[in-house]
Amino acid sequence: MRWYWPVPGLFLALVLYVLVVPGVWNQREQVRSEIPAGYIIPSKFSRILAFGHQGVLSDYLFLKTATFIGGRSSAGQPMTEEDWEYVVRSLDVITDLDPYFADPYVLATGLLAWEANKPQEANRLLQKGIDHREWDWRLSFYKGFNLFYFLQDYATAAEYIMKAAQMPGSSAYLATLGARLAYYGGQSRTALFFLQEMLEDASDPMMQQRLLKRRQALEHAVLIEDALDLFRTREGRTPELTELVESGLLDELPPDPYGGEWFIQPNGRVFSTSKFADMK
Amino acid sequence: MKAVLSLALITFKEGIRNRSLFGIALVALFLFGLNISVAGFFMRDIGKVTVDMNLSALTIAGLLLVFFVGINLMAKDIDRKTIHLVLSKPLSRAQYIWGKYLGIQFFVTVSLLLLAGCSSLTVLLLKSMYPAYFGGFSWLIFFVAVAFVLVKFWVLGAVVIFFSSLTTSSLITLIFSLGAYLAGVTIEEVVFYLKTEMAAQEQLISESLKNFIEAITWILPNFAAFDFSLEAAHGLALDSGRLLGVLSYGVLYSVILLLLASLIFSRREFN
Repeated sequence: MRWYWPVPGLFLALVLYVLVVPGVWNQREQVRSEIPAGYIIPSKFSRILAFGHQGVLSDYLFLKTATFIGGRSSAGQPMTEEDWEYVVRSLDVITDLDPYFADPYVLATGLLAWEANKPQEANRLLQKGIDHREWDWRLSFYKGFNLFYFLQDYATAAEYIMKAAQMPGSSAYLATLGARLAYYGGQSRTALFFLQEMLEDASDPMMQQRLLKRRQALEHAVLIEDALDLFRTREGRTPELTELVESGLLDELPPDPYGGEWFIQPNGRVFSTSKFADMK
Repeated sequence: MKAVLSLALITFKEGIRNRSLFGIALVALFLFGLNISVAGFFMRDIGKVTVDMNLSALTIAGLLLVFFVGINLMAKDIDRKTIHLVLSKPLSRAQYIWGKYLGIQFFVTVSLLLLAGCSSLTVLLLKSMYPAYFGGFSWLIFFVAVAFVLVKFWVLGAVVIFFSSLTTSSLITLIFSLGAYLAGVTIEEVVFYLKTEMAAQEQLISESLKNFIEAITWILPNFAAFDFSLEAAHGLALDSGRLLGVLSYGVLYSVILLLLASLIFSRREFN
């Protein structure tokens, strides 16, 4: 059988191709992890450039943003301030393209308020959702919670939570939540109620994993706060955290899954130096 | 009338014999498949993502149908000079235009309805996979949105016919129609953006620009008006007055273009 030159040529080219491709992908991975943050076209232009496919463009940009955050966390890199600003801008564009899209609001409240320390930005985005998704009690609930827990604006918070409680489909416990919020104040237990609701919402594994980790951190904080309360009623003073173990109220200080050190805030809430975000 | 219908039927048959139909169907099926695999990446609004992707896939398939098959159906006669043969039959030039239009629309409609069937199956599958995330979804609104995708292509078909009656080559028709489509689909955003800009800085905008924008809104088809994907995606209530208004807008715009095309085509010389 006679060999034609294209056959060995093709073979050679295929071998070279197999050698080159992984390199290209590795380089891309490297490049992507080094990119400070993407540029996002402002919505007044992207609405035009979508050529009638605004819905799909918003879906795509959402996936891109979620992948960006996921990429940072799987590469073990903390999100910088610049990264968070990119996320805020992206979520803004996504919700301009389709203001009824629920997922960006869930992402905004789950990450911007909790991890980026930007509850105001989260609430600004949530308000856009509240204005459009008039039937969705969760958005008012999230906003109310952010006001309560992060911004300590109890009066406005109660307004939003009550508004959420009156909407169809809202969880039965919402109606009594206001009272419970008032009782527990800014304690970690409040956040646990809220997280449970968020967890039911999040089907995405990346989001779920983050929320589960945070729930664990909060459960540990609640454990310490309970022991702290007990100590206070017994001894009439606020102890050092180590005293809780020494007095036998805790077997040991439960670890912060984010790797921080626990401390007692002036308002009595137990918090961690990690601020419940992966340590840099 | 009979002559028009038989020409339409011939055009339709010619259309469904076109090989590129398989390619277009494959593209659409690929997009539906992509939808199924991507839906799980979203948190809550899986129904919205599904509807978005299905309607966009139908629009893309429709565009390919009109631009790759529809334009050829119209232009081939002129490109290959078989128009002389057709016009030697007892058929006026105006009848030729309407017959071709109906044939192309029949072809595009049947193809898109088949794809819409596949699309509904995709939605049905995803709806059974993620029943909790299809809260606001309504089949009725989804089908209304699909129907208006069709209306959009009836108008685009008329645009194609209009440019075919003017030009001598299918490539020029393609370029003009594609230009008209891209402008038509974005014009609404541009007009409203400029209007808000104007309101913001009143004194800076000249009277002539205002008149120009006003003129554009009369000349170009506003394809964004036929877009009900936002309503379908979130199950928002539809206003019947709006549906009727948009439908009559589409029909009237097409009829005007076709009448113009008939007039131009009747006076045209072929060599």
